[in-house]
Amino acid sequence: MPDKFEPKIIGFLCNWCAYAGGDVAGVIRAQYPPNMRPIRVMCSGMVHPDLVVEALKMGADGVIIMGCHIGQCHYQDGNSKAMARVEVVRVVLEDMGIEPERFAIVWVSSAEGKRFAKVITDFTDQIKTLGPNPLRKDFELNFKRV
Amino acid sequence: MKLRAVSETLNACSGCEISILDTGERFYEILNNIEFLHFPLLMDHKSCIKTNGKKESELPEADLGILSGGIRNEEHLEIAKEVRKKCDIVIAFGTCATHGGIPALTNSYTNQEVLSRYYSTETTDNTSDYPDKDVPPLLERCYALDEHIKVDLYFPGCPPHPHHIYNAFISLATGKIPALPEKSVCDVCPVLKKGKIDSKNVKRFLAPPQYNYANEPLKDMRCLLEQGFVCMGPVTRAGCGGDNMIPRCISARVPCQGCYGPASFNGNQRLDLLNALASQGINTGSLPNTEFLLEFSGAHNLLRPRIKLVRK
Ligand code: SF4
Ligand code: SF4
Ligand code: SF4
Ligand code: FES
Repeated sequence: MPDKFEPKIIGFLCNWCAYAGGDVAGVIRAQYPPNMRPIRVMCSGMVHPDLVVEALKMGADGVIIMGCHIGQCHYQDGNSKAMARVEVVRVVLEDMGIEPERFAIVWVSSAEGKRFAKVITDFTDQIKTLGPNPLRKDFELNFKRV
Repeated sequence: MKLRAVSETLNACSGCEISILDTGERFYEILNNIEFLHFPLLMDHKSCIKTNGKKESELPEADLGILSGGIRNEEHLEIAKEVRKKCDIVIAFGTCATHGGIPALTNSYTNQEVLSRYYSTETTDNTSDYPDKDVPPLLERCYALDEHIKVDLYFPGCPPHPHHIYNAFISLATGKIPALPEKSVCDVCPVLKKGKIDSKNVKRFLAPPQYNYANEPLKDMRCLLEQGFVCMGPVTRAGCGGDNMIPRCISARVPCQGCYGPASFNGNQRLDLLNALASQGINTGSLPNTEFLLEFSGAHNLLRPRIKLVRK
């Protein structure tokens, strides 16, 4: 079972650093697992915690927010705001019965293609160790919103 | 022709039905427009559950099904489904029905934990015997209505304000979709707002708020959240003040507890409030816990038993 499990990971990537970093990773042909579905956002600071929690509630196995290094946000302090919310998301996830380790926030600059690949590889491994999201089964069997 | 209505009370405290009576003299006007065919809480009717091996329940068909309370056990579920089957329009009446309400706080614990807590205090004899005969078995958790049946109209409020009950029933009787307030409690709150929270911490409401003299009008009292108290106004649906709109708790100089459920229907009151505080640089760690921010909306999987974390 653990070998077969292919996690679904949602990535919120800021346009200016992380997404560009992903492009560089492609250009230098860095290898990393295909489990992360990237969603491009203008800044990590615009990712409302609801989006993270909703993704996990709907059965995503992991969520990762990627933005510019602190001090390099193109909107000055978007990433510091994102950082301030991390604790909030963790607390809420814990109370919802979801392991807070399924959520991560990392900074990757537009030049760090190699690091981008490493971050995704490590996070995918981490999620694989955790196994499927406990809400996944629940979502399909009991949780029907009509 | 009068609108025909049935009402059933599920995982509820009956406060919602009392609020219907609280429409006062206008209740007669409601009765002139709506005929209640089945209303166990106000009339001499039994609940529509099938008992004594009966095949069919005696619930009459109706235009309107008014359900208060969420769904916690199999009896609630059966009644809810029966009402759905017999009624054209089903109303989730009260925050228990729309978002789980106070009873959904149980979702932080497993059924086993709830039962052992309840049946094994120092004074109880047989701690291992939970009643399992003649009581409906518990479902896994406390659900809002729409997790099990289709709901046509949502009527939040703990309980919904009689003004809105009256308005809504009359508009339904005249064939219109009732309009309920859609703003947040803050939007209709008259207090003095400066747009900045004074302290770096927020606290629960354990000391009185600051104001200058006993009858000081609300518009001169500083916003309670800005005074550093947890007030759920920003993330809670308006409406508790009825037609004059002034939020009820605020008019008593007490912070909003969030009883009308989330301001945007699918919102998460706890997450949204904590997010707003964190983004303003407030240290949310100063609160002893945060489950209480979901005091009224813990259904829809928002509160769940804590997991044991697997750290390797
Ligand atoms: S919404 Fe409030 S008043 Fe209505 S049943 Fe629930 S607890 Fe009682
Ligand atoms: S007192 Fe509460 S409800 Fe009123 S404006 Fe302040 S936060 Fe909003
Ligand atoms: S102020 Fe908040 S808690 Fe108080 S009655 Fe209004 S919505 Fe409910
Ligand atoms: S622009 Fe990249 S984190 Fe704000």
